[in-house]
Amino acid sequence: MHELSLALEVCRIAEASAAPHPARAVRAVAVEVGKDAGIELENFRFCLEALLSDVPFAGARAELTTLPGTDLRVTHLEVDDGRPDD
Amino acid sequence: MAVRTIDVRERVMARNDELAALVRQRLQASGVPSFNLVSSPGSGKTSLLERTLEVLGEELGIAVMTGDVQTQNDADRLARRTERLVQAVVTGGACHLDAAQVTAALEAIDLERTRLLFIENVGNLVCPASWDLGETAKIVVLSVTEGEDKPLKYPKMFRMARYAVLNKIDLLPHLDFDLDLAVRYAREINPELRFFFTSARSGEGLDEWFQFLRAEARAPAHR
Repeated sequence: MHELSLALEVCRIAEASAAPHPARAVRAVAVEVGKDAGIELENFRFCLEALLSDVPFAGARAELTTLPGTDLRVTHLEVDDGRPDD
Repeated sequence: MAVRTIDVRERVMARNDELAALVRQRLQASGVPSFNLVSSPGSGKTSLLERTLEVLGEELGIAVMTGDVQTQNDADRLARRTERLVQAVVTGGACHLDAAQVTAALEAIDLERTRLLFIENVGNLVCPASWDLGETAKIVVLSVTEGEDKPLKYPKMFRMARYAVLNKIDLLPHLDFDLDLAVRYAREINPELRFFFTSARSGEGLDEWFQFLRAEARAPAHR
């Protein structure tokens, strides 16, 4: 029931984490979801994808991994730094 | 385009937990105990607070913040029972209070004049269990018009609570509710739970509840 609140906080963390980097766009937000975190996974995915479809993310992917435990954790972001490929 | 990976490794609840720790620190520094009242909708949290404010509001300098999804109705109801400020927190759709809302609401409360703080959470037995608000303890309210097996259905809430109020006991003669069974289920989940059996409507059992609050409240300031 609280999946939207958690997805909002994931987006806040993602935005704050991307801000110091010279990134043009966030391509993916990776989140670990503990099996005992009290989160309904598909509901959470729906909320997160809906939020990521809007600014400032403009369609970033939600990459959800389940694992044992009670934590919900943003593990990493994939960003496009706008530079040509090395 | 070069795609790079940025390591984050941040718990999603981390910010809430930090804010809750600050709330806890602040309340402890002021010596003000705080109770987070949680229950399903309609179990009588607001009615219990109304009776509590009528009798002890002034004596114990009780401050209240009350969360509602969409209205200020509960805050308005409580404000009629006390001269003191009742802080309304409208969550705007969210199913629980969080520590940021409590932090903001605390700004309006004069802790010097407060000996006891109630935080009335949004009626919901699921989500409020996951948000630490910096409270001293959670008090779960269960009314006898609900099922005896609520503790088994919502174990996290009953595990997180230190006290349980079984409310609306004036209705017991009209119901099939098995009080002993409800207590047994709750103790299976949390053997440490302390119970109160009350009717906010008839006043039954409230004396023990009031005695408990008098004992918990911060000692009055010496003058």
